[in-house]
Amino acid sequence: MYLVYGFDRSAYRSAYWFYFLISILVEFAVLVEISDHIFQSLPAIRHLGRALTVAISATLALTYILPVILWEQSRRLALLDFALRASVTKVIVLAALFIAARHYGLQIGKSVAGLMLGFSIYLGLNIANLAANKAFHPALYGGIYWIMTPTAYSLCLLVWTVALWDYVPAPSRSTISPVAGEGSESLALELTRFNNQLSKLIDK
Amino acid sequence: MTTIIYAAIAIAFLIMVIGFLRKPLPDDPDETSAGYAPKIGSGRWLDLSEPIFNPSDARWLEDELAFPKLASDLRLERKRLAIRWLQALQASFDELVRTPEIVPSEAPGSTVDHGWQMLGLTLRFKFLVSYALFMVKVFGPYHRLIPSFSWVPLPQKEDPNLRRAAMAGSRGSN
Repeated sequence: MYLVYGFDRSAYRSAYWFYFLISILVEFAVLVEISDHIFQSLPAIRHLGRALTVAISATLALTYILPVILWEQSRRLALLDFALRASVTKVIVLAALFIAARHYGLQIGKSVAGLMLGFSIYLGLNIANLAANKAFHPALYGGIYWIMTPTAYSLCLLVWTVALWDYVPAPSRSTISPVAGEGSESLALELTRFNNQLSKLIDK
Repeated sequence: MTTIIYAAIAIAFLIMVIGFLRKPLPDDPDETSAGYAPKIGSGRWLDLSEPIFNPSDARWLEDELAFPKLASDLRLERKRLAIRWLQALQASFDELVRTPEIVPSEAPGSTVDHGWQMLGLTLRFKFLVSYALFMVKVFGPYHRLIPSFSWVPLPQKEDPNLRRAAMAGSRGSN
């Protein structure tokens, strides 16, 4: 973006918005990637991460992000608020993933932990930066914003580089599987048995 | 003010992330929550729900032997047992959910991915057990877990024999 700004200032505006939309999509893609890896080792809840990500993102997109685009008067504030609320949504999704992982006692591997930590630093800095940019006049905060955004991005990349430098497989639990050797069908049957037991009790 | 709130959200989130990543997990997650949870596999303990949720002996104590105090104590004890049974069921289910992946070489023939189906079953169970725990804690073990709709004035089918008898009775009284 700095290169575009330096060489062709007239193209900078359209290039910036293109970059802005792509970056929001890429950030959600990173979130989906993280959510897919957290519960990978547990077949019963393998898709829980993706389900949480999609459900929370869709709900907040409709109730929290969309209204600001529809009803905000100033275009600058609308775009800033849009980016801010999108970041808050990503933070909520990450927090939900952390809580779910903790609830099931999952040991997050070094690689995924690094991905999460780097992305969390990026999102945290982004939220503070966007909120300050929205609150203060562009003449006052514009310069800081200009530096802070790439700084957050670079910090995130630095953490990712350190975490992903050597591949470390996710630690596996030492539990002996009660359905060992029978595959996911047996696990599905066990889950169904528990559900039936509870349904019988509730229907009584 | 809004800026401060958002900054606080960002800081709290970063503290939470670092806390989560630094804090070691307990060796056995069930140790703290419900150590009395039976091991899954046998499944016989599941049948305990029959006597725990059966109100006949409390009614027998109260109605036939006229021991209302004893019946009340029994109800309280059963409520405690019902809550523990539901918590044990939940803990055993969580233990089942924590079953690690079996590598394909160990599980021949399991090529179908039941991921979404199993997630559906897991979420359904979590919802039902939370609902059942709430109902038992609030209303006790002998309350209907699905609310009765008897208070809704639905049109009921009339029994022709009953109607005839009622008409005959009204004629006789006149």
